[in-house]
Order: sequence, then structure tokens, then C-alpha cells
Amino acid sequence: MNAQQSTVLAPADAGTDGKPVRVWDLPTRIFHWSLATSFVVAFVTSDSEKLRDIHVLAGYGMAALIAFRILWGFVGGGHSRFADFLPTPAKVIGYLKSLLAGKPQHYVGHNPAGAVAIFLLLGFGITAAASGYATYNEFGGHFMEEVHEAAANGMMAMVVIHLAGVVVSSWLHGENLVKAMITGRKDIRNENPAG
Amino acid sequence: MRKLFIIAALLAATGAQAETPRDFLTRFEKEAGGAASAERGARFFNTKQGGEWSCASCHTDKPTQAGRHAKTDKPIAALAPVANAERFTDAAKVDKWFRRNCNDTVNRLCSAQEKADVMAWLLTLK
Repeated sequence: MNAQQSTVLAPADAGTDGKPVRVWDLPTRIFHWSLATSFVVAFVTSDSEKLRDIHVLAGYGMAALIAFRILWGFVGGGHSRFADFLPTPAKVIGYLKSLLAGKPQHYVGHNPAGAVAIFLLLGFGITAAASGYATYNEFGGHFMEEVHEAAANGMMAMVVIHLAGVVVSSWLHGENLVKAMITGRKDIRNENPAG
Repeated sequence: MRKLFIIAALLAATGAQAETPRDFLTRFEKEAGGAASAERGARFFNTKQGGEWSCASCHTDKPTQAGRHAKTDKPIAALAPVANAERFTDAAKVDKWFRRNCNDTVNRLCSAQEKADVMAWLLTLK
């Protein structure tokens, strides 16, 4: 652990080998699972006119959730804040290099690669909701339909990457990230800490 | 002849080519391997095929007129080419909406024969 890296660790995170640390606050966890649910509902109802009411409702839900998350990214605490996981190019490159070297830096919150995916997911989500609203209210025409489908596919791509990241990261660091998003806590073993 | 098919397929795949409603009738008949029947198409369009909705549930049994969405009540522009020049001019759109709407009406994809029949009927409307 070098000096520069250790300063990135919040005092509460540092030196807590094997002890549970509070990582995700309750609003962030509720947001996460609600967003996942509304996305799945919107996706499986996307190809049906019969289920269009449900699809639109899921879309509104998603928009509201993302609006909350953006607010929470500024006023929330700890690892929920955007400032905590803003992915600078240097951080992303450093993380990807450590990953390729087989010694991934360990972030208690979001790692920089995951952070990129999160911001893209939020961006695609806003685009999908806005273009969906436009399509439903019949402005923007066929172009908006295309934007809507592309944004939804972009979200799905981020979800797939996210799920792969959860599996790989859980395995590499020997931690259960799914459990962490349910309980809010992680058992931290600071083998290669970065943040 | 084979080369012609390949060129046509490529053009269809790129979607660069604007199509006419009659091109779709030709295509579906070719895929079905038989002639279309406007009479069968009318029956298919206007009666429920096991599902909750028929095509006419939204497009009405006079698709030269505007329809109304059976769920959201929103207006739907006329489907018949004679009444709406934009209809059946874009393969991507045609395939997308046959896929979506067949799922809602017959709970499966439509066969090429069914699509050919419906196209034939829509083209007889004046």
C-alpha cells in the first residue's frame, strides 16, 4: 500500500481487514433494485402493444428513479456520491492495467471501469425515457423510435457488462457483491486497495 | 437470376431501397411459396385468431380509415396503402410491426402466407 493510495481510503474503510464495512446506504440499495426491476419490466413488455401501459409505467418509474439517483449523487453520502467514483481517464487506465496484470486494484465503492458503465447506464436511461415519452406522445416520429430502441439496447449492454463485472469482481476479490448490494455491507480484505 | 436475388437481398438488408407495397406482396408470396388470397387475408384481418385482439381491433375493418389503439385509445394512421402513402415502404418497419402486432393478435409470428394474404387484401382496398 503506497501513501498515495492509502489517502484515497476513507478512515472508516481503512484497516478493517475481514470486518464488515458499510458501503451502500439504504436509498442507494433501494434505488438499485428498483431500477433493475423497472428495466426488466420495461424490457420484457417492449414488444407488445397489449402490455404498453405497463411498459410506459415502468419507463416513468425508471425516469423518476434516475432523477433521484442523480440528486443522490450530489447530496447522498460516502460511496453513493458521484465525486466518490468519478472515473478520470487516469483512474480507468490504471484500473484496467491492474486488471490485465491479474492484480486488480480493490475499490471499496465503485471501481473506475464500473463507474464508466454506471454513467453510461444513467445516460442511456435518460435517453430511453425521454425518447420513449416522445414516441408515446407522437412527436419525433420514426427517428425517436430508433433512438428509443438504441438507448434501450445500450442499457442492456451496460447491464450485461455490469453482471459480468459483478461475477468477475466477486471472484477476484473473494467478496459477495450481490450480498453487499442487499445488506449494504462488505467484508473488506484490503489486499490491493485503491479507493 | 440468382445474382438478381442476391442483389435484391442485399438492398433489402441495407434498407437503403425504398419499397412499394406490391414489393412486399411479392416477397411474402415468394417466401410462402404460393399465391396470396385477398379473401383469406380479409378473414384473417377481421376475425380473432385465438387471441384477445384481431388486426381490426386497432386498425378497424376498414383500414382505409384511421384506427384507434385498443389499449391506449391513441389514433393510428390508416393502414391501407391507398389511403396512406407511407405504409409498406420500409422493410425494417414492415418486419418490426408484423412481428410486434402478430405477437399481440395471434400470440406467435405470422406465417409468410398470412402476411401475403393480408397484403393482398390491403391492396384491393380502394
